[in-house]
Amino acid sequence: MKKLIALLSLTAFLIGGCQDEKKGHESYTPSYSTANKKIGLVTDVGSIDDKSFNQTSWEGIVDFAETNGLAIETNYKYFQPSGGSNAGTQDYITAINNAINWGAEIVVCPGFLFEVAIYEIQEKNKNIGFVLIDGTPNEGNYEDVYVAPNTVSILFKEQESGFLAGYAAVKDGFTSLGFMGGMAVPAVVRFGIGFIAGAYLAAKENNNTEFSFNKDHYTYVGKFEADPNIKTRAESWYNAGVEVIFAAAGGAGSSVLAAAQEGQDKWMIGVDKDQASDSPRVLTSATKGVHSATVLALESFYQSNFDVGGQILNLGAVDDGVGLPLGESWRFSSFTIEEYQSLYDKLVDGTINVPSTHETLKTYVEGLGYTLNLSFEDIGM
Amino acid sequence: MELIYNILQATFFTMTPLLVVALGGLFSERSGVVNIALEGIMVMGAFIGIFVISMIEGGSIPGQLVLIIGVIVGGLVGLIFSVFHAFASINLKADQTISGTALNIFAPAVAIFVARSMLGGSKEIKFLTVFRIKRVPFLTDIPILGRIFFEDFYITFYVGLIILLISWFVLYKTRLGLRIRACGENPHAADSVGINIYKIRYIGVLTSGFLAGMGGVIFIISASQAFAASVSGYGFLAIAVLIFGNWQPKKILFASFFFGLMTTLAAMYTEIPLLKGLGLSEEFYNMIPYIATLVVLALLSKSSKAPKAVGVIYDKGAR
Repeated sequence: MKKLIALLSLTAFLIGGCQDEKKGHESYTPSYSTANKKIGLVTDVGSIDDKSFNQTSWEGIVDFAETNGLAIETNYKYFQPSGGSNAGTQDYITAINNAINWGAEIVVCPGFLFEVAIYEIQEKNKNIGFVLIDGTPNEGNYEDVYVAPNTVSILFKEQESGFLAGYAAVKDGFTSLGFMGGMAVPAVVRFGIGFIAGAYLAAKENNNTEFSFNKDHYTYVGKFEADPNIKTRAESWYNAGVEVIFAAAGGAGSSVLAAAQEGQDKWMIGVDKDQASDSPRVLTSATKGVHSATVLALESFYQSNFDVGGQILNLGAVDDGVGLPLGESWRFSSFTIEEYQSLYDKLVDGTINVPSTHETLKTYVEGLGYTLNLSFEDIGM
Repeated sequence: MELIYNILQATFFTMTPLLVVALGGLFSERSGVVNIALEGIMVMGAFIGIFVISMIEGGSIPGQLVLIIGVIVGGLVGLIFSVFHAFASINLKADQTISGTALNIFAPAVAIFVARSMLGGSKEIKFLTVFRIKRVPFLTDIPILGRIFFEDFYITFYVGLIILLISWFVLYKTRLGLRIRACGENPHAADSVGINIYKIRYIGVLTSGFLAGMGGVIFIISASQAFAASVSGYGFLAIAVLIFGNWQPKKILFASFFFGLMTTLAAMYTEIPLLKGLGLSEEFYNMIPYIATLVVLALLSKSSKAPKAVGVIYDKGAR
């Protein structure tokens, strides 16, 4: 009986404790120190050369540092959390603290994996600036999303980038498309949704009433690393007639690329940054401007007392935050840069509003006169 | 029919690294040393092997020869790297699992560090050559078999089969093989008839290092077009294949084929009407290889025979 009472009171205590934590957030005005010019970057499970947002945000810092004559190690430095690919919130908090102890005045955290870590730590370090890329600080279930005055949360309209890529591919004459995402996390899902929407719009403009995005050729491979299984899957899609696969899967993209190289006239679409130099089989890349967004946040911090602090920025075509690489990376045979520009302008002026959820995608595709055969579960969001 | 060819071709390239690395593990474990470091050795072998390939490709050396050179270099690097494991677990009498784990943690870290600091700032080492052979004159034209074995294949598959034959021959038809097996079963008895246990175990571990290093290169060239300091856990899968194959070369061939086939089926299910018709969720298809392995293991585990002295540190004085 005693044990039972003890257990009950413990449970009550725990529940009570949890409820207590949901208190309001006090507002405050941070006073930053910017004299030493010390910028820290904490990587997530990726690394500063993962061809993805860890790398592009690091490049943004390097870019800012070189413009302002800062030195690596003294003025900017990156920190990797312990725990490798299994790093959790606690590892991130430790790594952020390491950066702060090193003297960082502003800490850049690329990736949604930092959401909870930043949520926990932002109010405890009121005079440190935090840049969270691809996520918004929350307690873990999005019940309490809170961007403190000293934090900026930078999101991208990945759907617009995917939209441009899907549109371009179909306009260029491809009719059979595939999509391989790394995992069904918001940023990756938005790439996929935009890709489908763009493909349908171009199909309509091409008067291709038969066009349909095959649900079998839309998947999440479950990892962001190369694996023979991913290559086998890509190969089986190519053998089944798919001509181009959009791989929004970080390192796993190189397995798709390997399959494309071995096939005949098969293409792969890269993600996040321009991947044209990886292989001549990279048709284009659906990029997002993590690089320029990082520079923007740093400039705001050092030149305008972090005026973007406390905000959620949602960067899209309007802000030049997404796009396809031009110049030597332009590998389309019939789709022209002029056509691309005119589509881009439509995104900028709001003529086209790219869907970002399954529901809006369904409406969009039906509005064009097609039926979407991918279910909510297929898309994952 | 086309589908069956595709499935088999994919199975062959998936199973090749597993086969080669599992055979490496076989030599080590048969001599009595657990080699859990296969994963790390694969990473090291792949690192230098792919680096060499990226340096010499596109020159005057033909593509397939580039590949063979890369694979051999990877093997040599693996051999050198496995000396650490051999020294720690044989001379220093360290716990073999711990020593192996240490190498597994060490390998990707050193690969990233060296690649970044010496090879131009990125851990990625790209190569552009497509090593897959589309077809061979005459051989591909053989009905059925030609298409299964000589279309869209990697030369490494045949390297793997040759290694299998050599392994079987060495282990069962030579004096050295008998000694290796004796060391893994009862080292004290072997010692009493004058066999140098340390030497034999060194041979076992270094051979496994050589094969695992080769396996690393084979893995990368058939899975990707860049080395990125990882072999996706295939070293550990190879250990599973070794156990699944009951520490016997022929059964290892079967085990790697089985595992390769199952993962291929799981990866290709959308294109296989029979599997797709089941209408299961994607997660279930992804589980197929592991469930199938569990079932087979459950059925065959009674006859499973690990070498008796595997993992036991050899101490002359202990009786």
